[in-house]
Amino acid sequence: MASLKQEKASSLGGLVLFTTVEQAIQAEKVLRQAGYAAKLVAPPPQLRKGCDLAVEINLVEQTGIERLFKQKDVDYTEIAPLKGGEELLDIVKVTDFGEAIMVKAGNMKVTFDKDTGIILNASGGGCPDIPYLHAELVGRKLTEAPGPKEIGFTLCATMMDRAFLECLQLWDDLR
Amino acid sequence: MMLIAGTVPIKGLPLTLAEAKFEGGFLSLNHCKIPCTQGTGATISAALTTTKYLKLDPPQVLVGGDTGRGEGKGSRSIYEHLIRKLPELSPDVLALHYILPDMALMRKVCESVERCSEKPVMIADAGSMYAAKAAGLASEFDVFTPDFCELGFLADPNAVHPAYINRHLFDTNVNQAPELVSTAYQLKNAAKLLLVKGAIDYVAKEGEILERLTEPDIPALEAIGGTGDTITGLVSAFVYGGLELHEAAIIAAKSNRMAGKLARATPATKVWQIIAQFPAVFEKYLSEWV
Repeated sequence: MASLKQEKASSLGGLVLFTTVEQAIQAEKVLRQAGYAAKLVAPPPQLRKGCDLAVEINLVEQTGIERLFKQKDVDYTEIAPLKGGEELLDIVKVTDFGEAIMVKAGNMKVTFDKDTGIILNASGGGCPDIPYLHAELVGRKLTEAPGPKEIGFTLCATMMDRAFLECLQLWDDLR
Repeated sequence: MMLIAGTVPIKGLPLTLAEAKFEGGFLSLNHCKIPCTQGTGATISAALTTTKYLKLDPPQVLVGGDTGRGEGKGSRSIYEHLIRKLPELSPDVLALHYILPDMALMRKVCESVERCSEKPVMIADAGSMYAAKAAGLASEFDVFTPDFCELGFLADPNAVHPAYINRHLFDTNVNQAPELVSTAYQLKNAAKLLLVKGAIDYVAKEGEILERLTEPDIPALEAIGGTGDTITGLVSAFVYGGLELHEAAIIAAKSNRMAGKLARATPATKVWQIIAQFPAVFEKYLSEWV
């Protein structure tokens, strides 16, 4: 165990924090089995909230990892970026084009037709699930489309989900 | 040779290195149809349309199927191929696009670039730009094509992804882009040239704003998925055609705007309808712009 703790968090950008060492070890095993890059590391002091073992992940994959933990009953305290703000961007911007509304959440955009509620566009970001989400969502009604967070895997999908939920709210208000 | 690398949302598509072609109205790689939709497909289509007009060799394309799942096979296979084969391929222009950001692998890609006989012009957008910035490799690149939020990401000293940028950077007005550009350069988080895509397109080199483009003003372009991706393809092709970086960026931004105008773009317009206008735009304006 001591040798594991010697390994410093380095390059992948995110940490999963735990209450106990056993949780951290289980989480790393679950992640590796699912094909995620994961490494047991010592969290830096400012992120140490429970045990002194954490799992380093590629932060970009946070969305898929949270869903995997839920499916596999893995307990964890939180997922945090190694650097920068600890909170995901939580504000949205709305643009009304007359016939359509575009909602931006961070680097992600969802646009829907005001008459039909059909999704005209879902785009932005840079993670590979975004072109996939674009293909899955565009042309479907907001109320019948899967939430981006349900079928996406990355932080871009989470931000798209925020825009999508705002679109649903706006569509509800229009009706 | 121009090489465009990125993932496409086709489950199970193996790593494919091929010349891009249009066949029967579709983008085709080794007879595999690639959707001309938002993402790498739009970038390839825009680049191919441009090289075809300019009578240049079509882009070579390295794609892998990837929908973002944890296995990330498409992204990983692209990284690994680039790491092993870039010195052999030695492209003149290398455009990296939708790939799962991985800082360690991006570092290895940049190390592999150093082994090329001549360093290619390196262009990054989307996940590749995120990885380059987060890994501190931005200055290795010649061109980044961020949108305004992504410019905030480049101007944030700590964020490893745009979802985690400081909220005041997201709240910034688009007219304040020059300040963010300046910050991004000071932090060494920018490529040599930035083309910031948005209601106002900014072209900046080494921290200096060279051009501010607002016309034609087609607000709907922002709502059409893939219109940022087309700009990356256009820039890549124009650089491959011999234009200076800033010339390529300015003409790419102008071409995209003008194609939106000719397509009478609305939020319901699809990106292939924009790309279809590029030949008409080039025919009418290119000699005037160059």
